[in-house]
Amino acid sequence: MVLELTDEQKIWRETLVAFSRQELDYDMTAYEKGDLFPWEAWRKCAEMQILAQPFPEEYGGGGVDFMTTMISLNALGYACKDAGLVHAIATQILCGLQILHFGSERLKQRYLPLLCRGEKVFAQAITEPGSGSDALSMRTSATKKRDTYILSGSKTFITNGPIADVVIVFAVSDPEKKSLGGISCLVVEDGMKGFEKCRPLKKMGLSTLQNGELFFDNCVVAFEQLLGKEGQGAIIFNESMEWERSLLPAAHLGTMERILEISVTYAKERHAFKKPIGSYQSVANKLSSMKMNLELGKGILYRCAALKDNRKRAALDASICKLFISESLKQACLDAVQIHGGYGYMSEYEIERDLRDSIAATIYSGTSELQHNIIARFLGV
Amino acid sequence: MEKNLMERGSEMLTRETIRQFILSELISDDSRVDLTDTVQLIDSGVIDSFGIMSLLGFLEENFSIQISGDDLVPENFASISTISDFVSQKSC
Repeated sequence: MVLELTDEQKIWRETLVAFSRQELDYDMTAYEKGDLFPWEAWRKCAEMQILAQPFPEEYGGGGVDFMTTMISLNALGYACKDAGLVHAIATQILCGLQILHFGSERLKQRYLPLLCRGEKVFAQAITEPGSGSDALSMRTSATKKRDTYILSGSKTFITNGPIADVVIVFAVSDPEKKSLGGISCLVVEDGMKGFEKCRPLKKMGLSTLQNGELFFDNCVVAFEQLLGKEGQGAIIFNESMEWERSLLPAAHLGTMERILEISVTYAKERHAFKKPIGSYQSVANKLSSMKMNLELGKGILYRCAALKDNRKRAALDASICKLFISESLKQACLDAVQIHGGYGYMSEYEIERDLRDSIAATIYSGTSELQHNIIARFLGV
Repeated sequence: MEKNLMERGSEMLTRETIRQFILSELISDDSRVDLTDTVQLIDSGVIDSFGIMSLLGFLEENFSIQISGDDLVPENFASISTISDFVSQKSC
């Protein structure tokens, strides 16, 4: 298994870093204040084919491997300060991967070109008010009626939900069965009768990312909108988590690299007691820990990508990857604020935003506590 | 067509390998030893949404098979017997 980037991948990363600095360097203040989605940036990313990367060319995709897709998110995490936008892009790609791997030919042809071009925004609806990490204890129901499903229930915190045109909804299709076999996925479109989207919820960070509640009140969904087979929902969920727990950490690792660079520069320039603060061991140790976690994170991240590109299972590796990188990012952001002292606490220096954003990384896509549980289950305990 | 001795032996070995994995990795309550070929693993809660991840990894690794897309349906993993049949079919 090769865990190095090819020359082409390195060039692509540099290209995206330059693109982000030139095209995505907007003033975040106004967007943050209004919790607005950066539509112009979204369109630019779509034009750059970032949303289309891992999908076959026949559906309008870029036809690249999973490693290259991860590198794209890594480059955005590094060079684009809007973590909300990067997360929205990752969600769009994840929805596409679910459709690509489990959808019927009809669903692929109908949705993937729109997804790749960014013309429609996609979301996946799993979390409910009463089920977060224990996602599969959901209550939203999909009751079969002739050649349709009747969808009833509500979802919350759904990423891209308030602006979504298409939502992959996970719901209980057979309450008699356990979650494995009892949950199915339906592709629901905005405008369907009985489907309602609510306004975005206000959050601590990731302000531009639109998260909200979705309501289904006897929403009639045609049988042909079933993603995969009936009862395949829990397995699609597991598969999806392998991709998600590799793609999101790829962006986090990019952010960590930026945080490290900013902190090293500051530690060299800022003097205290006539010496650069980096010369003090208490500061230098923070920087060396960041570097160590960055390199270790790269190792597990590349391993996940290589496993997926080799069509191998990566559930355990993806959980380790997600847990290690999200916790490392949060620690790196805390340390960066500390190294910058009073300036780090000021909004102007922008590190405090990264810190607020980083906290969410240890919660979404399965909390750190859940990742520990998964890893323990693989150990047979 | 009736299976020959080699095929039957190989099938028995596959079932035993799967059984041992389930007993050692997926069942925390070691008092449960009556794991026959037809016990419904999902319905009885032996394999849950976490357990299926371990099982899939084990099957792919141990039997050098790839499991994806349409193969990933609960019916294929309902009992030791169905898992074994599925593995044999994928190994062909």
